[in-house]
Amino acid sequence: MILQQLVNGLTLGSLYALIALGYTMVYGVLLMINFAHSEIFMSGAFISLLVYQRLIPWLSPSEAWLVAIVLAFGGSALLALVVERFAYRPLRRSSRLTPLISAIGVSILLQNAGFLFISDQSLAYPQVFEIRHYQWGGVEINSLQILILVVSLGLMGILHLFVNRTRLGTAIRATAQDSTTASLMGIPVNGIIALTFLLGGALGGVAGALNGLYYGSIKYNMGFIPGIKAFTAAVLGGIGNIPGAMWGGIILGVLESLAAGLIPNGSEWKDVIAFSILILILLFRPEGLFGRHVPEKL
Amino acid sequence: MKKVFCGLLALAILAGCGPKEKVARIAVALPLTGDIAALGQGLKRACTLALEESAQNRHSTGFRVEIKTFDDRSDPKEAVDVANRIVSDASVVAVIGHFNSGCSLPASLVYARHHLAMISPAASNPKLTLQQLDPSWRYPKTIFRVNTTDDIQGSYAGEFAVKTLKARRACIIHDKTAYGQGVAEEFRKRLEALGGTALSFDGVNVADKDFNALLTRLHELHPQMIYFGGDYAGGGLIVRQARGVGEKAPMVLSEANFDPEFLRVAGAAAEGCYVTFLGSPTSLLPSARRFVDAYRARYPGVEVKAYDGYGYEAMAIVLSLIEKVGPDRVKILAALPSVAYQGVLGETRFDQKGDTLNHRITLFQVKDGQFQPVK
Amino acid sequence: MNRYGRHGAWAASLSFFLIIPFFLDGSRFAYLIRLGGIAGLYMLLALGLNLVVGFVGLLDLGFMAFYAIGAYTAALLAIMKMPFWVCAAAAMVVAMAARLAVGFPALRLRGDYLAIVTLGFGEVVRLIFTNWDALTNGPKGLPRVGESIPPISLFGFTFTSNLHYYYLIAVCVLAAAWVCYRLDHSRLGRAWVAIREDEIAAELMGVDVTKQKLVAFGISALFAGLAGAIFVHWENFVTPESFTFWESALLVCAVVLGGMGSVSGVMLGAFCIVAVPEFLRDLLGKSFADARYLLFGLSLILIAIYRPQGLVPSRRRSLELHPAEPEENAPSTLFDVEGK
Repeated sequence: MILQQLVNGLTLGSLYALIALGYTMVYGVLLMINFAHSEIFMSGAFISLLVYQRLIPWLSPSEAWLVAIVLAFGGSALLALVVERFAYRPLRRSSRLTPLISAIGVSILLQNAGFLFISDQSLAYPQVFEIRHYQWGGVEINSLQILILVVSLGLMGILHLFVNRTRLGTAIRATAQDSTTASLMGIPVNGIIALTFLLGGALGGVAGALNGLYYGSIKYNMGFIPGIKAFTAAVLGGIGNIPGAMWGGIILGVLESLAAGLIPNGSEWKDVIAFSILILILLFRPEGLFGRHVPEKL
Repeated sequence: MKKVFCGLLALAILAGCGPKEKVARIAVALPLTGDIAALGQGLKRACTLALEESAQNRHSTGFRVEIKTFDDRSDPKEAVDVANRIVSDASVVAVIGHFNSGCSLPASLVYARHHLAMISPAASNPKLTLQQLDPSWRYPKTIFRVNTTDDIQGSYAGEFAVKTLKARRACIIHDKTAYGQGVAEEFRKRLEALGGTALSFDGVNVADKDFNALLTRLHELHPQMIYFGGDYAGGGLIVRQARGVGEKAPMVLSEANFDPEFLRVAGAAAEGCYVTFLGSPTSLLPSARRFVDAYRARYPGVEVKAYDGYGYEAMAIVLSLIEKVGPDRVKILAALPSVAYQGVLGETRFDQKGDTLNHRITLFQVKDGQFQPVK
Repeated sequence: MNRYGRHGAWAASLSFFLIIPFFLDGSRFAYLIRLGGIAGLYMLLALGLNLVVGFVGLLDLGFMAFYAIGAYTAALLAIMKMPFWVCAAAAMVVAMAARLAVGFPALRLRGDYLAIVTLGFGEVVRLIFTNWDALTNGPKGLPRVGESIPPISLFGFTFTSNLHYYYLIAVCVLAAAWVCYRLDHSRLGRAWVAIREDEIAAELMGVDVTKQKLVAFGISALFAGLAGAIFVHWENFVTPESFTFWESALLVCAVVLGGMGSVSGVMLGAFCIVAVPEFLRDLLGKSFADARYLLFGLSLILIAIYRPQGLVPSRRRSLELHPAEPEENAPSTLFDVEGK
């Protein structure tokens, strides 16, 4: 039973982690909470569904979905880029609160755009693959859960390598550490910031598509709750810290599943538990579980 | 700031200027935008259909009946705003609305204060009409509804579980809304009164999507059936995920799941699920059959949603009263308690509280991706 | 605008908003009174939030929690037939106590973290009100069947119509605005601004930073508690649905939109938040009513870009000699597991 709940929690948590990466990277370079990220996640789900529906007459379901998820990856990245360019970049030099207002504006705008131009109802997300169930010693895992784990862990691994082993990754790290010095060293800071949005958006988009596939239905307001949860995950792992976001997501997913799965009435209290953890972590270990304490610069 | 205000005033005045013919308006106050806009829009279509049909049948009576729609976004605060807009328009003779109990409760006080009749097509919290019997109620009886209340529906499902399904050990889930929790509590009461046991009673958060953990736990309890009180967004996902974790017990869902969207979200997993629904099955009631056909003809490509029949019925009742006593708030209010209307839900008459006496509930089962009446 | 212009504008809008509703009552525009009252409640909330966000410069994303606490406290007492002034006082005290209880440990956090703690707290409060059925009747709301909230009765006068509540709220808003204005020009207000501008310098100059922040927190909760108590008596009903995160976010928008730290600005901001969607609804007509929140989102973005100082910038802020300097990026822990 507990092992089974761990499987449930791992799947949920790896989705949280994929979204959390977007929050954490943007926060890392801009110190800004990108509220619109949850709508990027939503857009990924819709892009993949719309593409899938267009392609299905010509391709087999799994091929069509493969194309769809690649386009969701690209489309969400593009959307994130557009949002950055038009809603955030003009505010780079203003006070802390102004970009936040803009982000809330973008979030409302995108959500209502989905409501108006795509659908005001839940859309059924097709079951692309035959779902197989595998059992090991009383623990059951299905092919969908395996797919989600493989894709999300794989993408996180690639991102990790990208950031730590490539020149562009080094540039991102440099910008995060000190954008002024980075620009003096010849790093195109604007481009690097755009790149962070691009990467975060792409991962968020894939998370949206996987989310659609896993739960079988998507709606224009689907991003809000996972968005807040993923943000919690990012803080839990230490905001601005990539491996932290992954661990934060997985820990949060597992905790939620254990709460809902072991405590009677836990399903209605699990969000309280999640948010209480968020508060307690911030109060007693603001650098997160995996972060290093950084004294505030004066 | 003043400009905005003046603009608002000017606009409102402009909007008020119209042709001279006497107009009676029926206010339709529903969630037309926001999370459950789809249900509100469906009800609005049904009300419009009812009006159009009656306008075709009616001979000239010297006045025109119009629908005036208001959007409460399923937000209690906006519902009261809307109610205030409605009561300040003297041409409104009755209100159809609101959808949620949470919106209907505070708005109903505004209508009561202004002696304006309100017929809800969907709000099912018993308190909505019960408050009129309270000794502290200082207004006339203004609140009516054509749908059944949580207690009737929940206990019907409880009886079905024990007597027909022979299921005494049930797991109960609700979506933590006034409606979902209400029916689920009534289900539990009836179940326990008939000697059954509620193995669990869990609420889930409305926007939640992942119920795997909860359902895995319920699966371990080996229930003989699962009851869900709430709307299709949760219901569809719960059914789908319950089958996903291997739970095979029969599932009974409250009437908000009698909606094409439930079938879409649940997909193949919906097969075999039961949904309770007020009124007679459309196939047995000619008037209901006709409504569905007319609806499909008027709105091609649009599905008939769960509550559309109620909206149509509420509208038809108001229209019949206008026909009988004229377009007058006071007369309509006075005539409502004695209404006996034969319509798409069967016969509607109101009891002392203002609730419909039509307690007929039909059970539907999903077969081949369609809702089929049982028996 | 010079001093006289400002006073003139105040006097003109004041008399406009105090006199007009009297004539609207009973007319077909009577609903505007209700709308005005709601706008007034949001002004009260925005003035409270402004003390924290505008004066001290701390971002709060869960302010609705204290409105909710005030509303529920008042509702529970009103059901027991307590007079309004008891309900209101208790609502204010309980809201303030809750505010201080969260605020005290949270205040040592730096800006964004505090924002997230408040966000989390706001959600926790809403969920507790939803789940604690025994106390709050859960999602079904208060009062329960057979209970009722009596109308406000003060000095033998019973508040029954929207107009009565409008004037009650108007009086509260004016009093709150006056308190804020006085605070802005007091020692306390200067200390707050000093903290906002440079916390460390303020501390070195002898400002007790933690205490001053707590005072701002406490006073702001008083406003929210009062608004909650009035709301629940006016509405006669309260459910947890009314206190979502979006409401808190919109309130922050109201403060920033109007002009942080400016008393008349945040009042205007709150007015816009309530009135603009309504205005757009009328302006766009039925078929485009759906689009009004889309336009609302768009206007938030445009205002953030083109008028970040708000509609009525605080005079003190605009007098500040330095233009907004880009904030130094604090060293981040991003990507530091390897390579360091």
